[in-house]
Amino acid sequence: MSGEPCAIIGVGQTHHKSKRLDVSLAGLLREAASRALTDAGLDWPDIDAVVLGTAPDAFEGVMMPELYLADALGAAGKPIMRVHTAGSVGGSTGIVAAHLIHARRHRRVLAVAFEKQSEGNAQWGLAGGKSGGMGAGGIFAPWIRSYIRRSGAPEHIGWQVAVKDRLNALKNPYAHLKIADISVEKVRESFMLWDPLHFLESCPSSDGACAVVLTDEAGGRDAAARGNPPAWVAATAMRSEPTSFPGRDPVRPQAGVDCAHDLYRAAGITNPLAEIDVAELYVPFSWYEPMWLEGHDITGPGDGWKLVESGETEIGGSFPVNPSGGVLSSNPIGASGMLRFAEAALQVRGRAGEHQVDGARTALGHAYGGGAQYFAMWIVRSTLG
Amino acid sequence: MPVSAETKYGPSVTTNTVEFPYRRSLGPVVGGFVAALARGQITGVRSTGVRGGGRVLCPPLEYDPDTGAATDGELVDVGPEGTVRSWTWVAAPDARHPLDRPFAFALIQLDGADTAMVHAVDAGGEDALRAGLRVTARFRAQPKGRTDDLAYFVPEGTETTDPDVVDAAAAAAGAAAAGVSTEPVQTMEFWSSLTYKEAVSPATARYARSMLAGTLLGQKCPTCAKVFVPPRDFCSIDGIRLDEGHDLALPDRGVITNFTIVTPVPYPGQKETEPFVRVSVLLDDVEALMGLQPVVDIPNEEVRVGMRVEAVWLPESERNAEEFGNRGWGSTTGAISGWRATGEPDLPVERYIDRVF
Repeated sequence: MSGEPCAIIGVGQTHHKSKRLDVSLAGLLREAASRALTDAGLDWPDIDAVVLGTAPDAFEGVMMPELYLADALGAAGKPIMRVHTAGSVGGSTGIVAAHLIHARRHRRVLAVAFEKQSEGNAQWGLAGGKSGGMGAGGIFAPWIRSYIRRSGAPEHIGWQVAVKDRLNALKNPYAHLKIADISVEKVRESFMLWDPLHFLESCPSSDGACAVVLTDEAGGRDAAARGNPPAWVAATAMRSEPTSFPGRDPVRPQAGVDCAHDLYRAAGITNPLAEIDVAELYVPFSWYEPMWLEGHDITGPGDGWKLVESGETEIGGSFPVNPSGGVLSSNPIGASGMLRFAEAALQVRGRAGEHQVDGARTALGHAYGGGAQYFAMWIVRSTLG
Repeated sequence: MPVSAETKYGPSVTTNTVEFPYRRSLGPVVGGFVAALARGQITGVRSTGVRGGGRVLCPPLEYDPDTGAATDGELVDVGPEGTVRSWTWVAAPDARHPLDRPFAFALIQLDGADTAMVHAVDAGGEDALRAGLRVTARFRAQPKGRTDDLAYFVPEGTETTDPDVVDAAAAAAGAAAAGVSTEPVQTMEFWSSLTYKEAVSPATARYARSMLAGTLLGQKCPTCAKVFVPPRDFCSIDGIRLDEGHDLALPDRGVITNFTIVTPVPYPGQKETEPFVRVSVLLDDVEALMGLQPVVDIPNEEVRVGMRVEAVWLPESERNAEEFGNRGWGSTTGAISGWRATGEPDLPVERYIDRVF
């Protein structure tokens, strides 16, 4: 962390569902933003600037939605900017907002990210309107096959992650998927969507939004004095690389390795597995939990799946991953990264409710996007410095 | 891309059209506004808050656009008459405009409203327009539950000859007779069609020409010796420019390094209905990889890493370059129908499975 300390004093999200036909696009964002403002003890006029994030415009068919949504987010007469880094955008949006605080450009920033998948069709959007779209899972499936072969992981690891995250989602009132009778057998017997990925190893399509209110050191201390414990941003990092080039390792992208190392260094973390209490990782397909544990050097190579298999990534384990239920349980694409960042903040604020990890003081929020080529990460802590 | 359009003066141009029937959730306020239009009624909503509170906003919103504060959500009747506050003349409307004849886009403040809405005015001629002009609404004679059930405005006292529209009183009578629902409209289809032109890069044009002639074309970076397919005229690893002199004819045989079996989901334009395979092929002799390739005559369950394959070229007369765009990841569609098994023994999985890109 450098510059002005940044505190997260408000978090809000919608109830995520496959179709939120009850709200307009603006209404969806306002649902999350209003909750974040209420949580922060602030109102629209208190906000100095708004940062908006969403995935490709083709998903909803609203070009430059930041123009239409500025009024809805109380941004008339204020700076508003839009961030876009594919599926990682929710995380990047939070980071851009944090930088506005670090740089002392603004004192109170509202960051909002959303996707209303029911307005369009993400597979159509990703296929550029053409037939034979691969879907995100179709791109990732060969890399997952490569990881499985490389690491020697048994096939039940993917099923186990799928079950864990759906059980966690039962403890999160905002989660989309609520599969009370989820089991390894049920995942294994669900149809093969993108070999080797079964249907229940894949994320849903969701409508949803997430918002966070960020402020400076004085704002954070003021919130704390009012009984609203802030999450302090200890470090942020972003990296990217091209989708394809000869010799690229998409299983362990260099941009993801560099991003993680940059993050740990900035946060003063030398042993992430021991020093991070809980992680919200962007896991849209079950295998990405062990792939990112290893790909971000949280564990050594080949050890990520063993941590999963031993149950240590469950709530109550030594390194809980996605206590919220994660992307596997709710996937409003543009918001999914911010949900990871926001859930990390909720954990260190002690505000995660039923899915709270006891004693969480340092948390990792993580997002990736595109062809596993965009990375955004932050470390938040319950204390400053 | 229409390769025949290429000239010595520059790259050819491709024309692309993408279309999709988006679904708009209208929400409680705009949904109520649209429902009322079917009855020939325009509505606004009252803003709240210390700054600008109590104003009637039309079109109605869930929020005060000046402050972000929530409106009270109660729709109030306004119009159907109003006053033009400002306007611009559209002399040559195209297919995307609300009227097929010259018209004005105007800011119209409806009677009873404190804000103005943008809408079309069918005024006959530009001379008829002025700030302060009194106008009245015309509604679709056959409402569809859409925002454009409010068709356009005309100067007060205008006789309407357009058989597709009616005035507010006739719309109300028609809705009463037909028993039109007063419930807020929940969703509205929004047909989106986008056509854009794109200049094809010289590298893509060379690739297309080569593919039409039956030769796979790549490009080799002199610094890192990596081979890109198709040519890009740059090396993204070394950050240097490449050109035609770095082009490299490639063999059309290789080995499958990895694959995906996609279970297609339906969407507008989707033609696939059964699970289909896409493979990555590492070409023989050169370190060049082709991603997302279809297979020919190989059952899905037989596709495997290490399988030897060769390209199946379309007959020369059937080849076309329509799918070769600047952003392709090595599309071969239109020149190669896919890759078929050669029947040679498999190569070791371990040597190839990581070669996805």
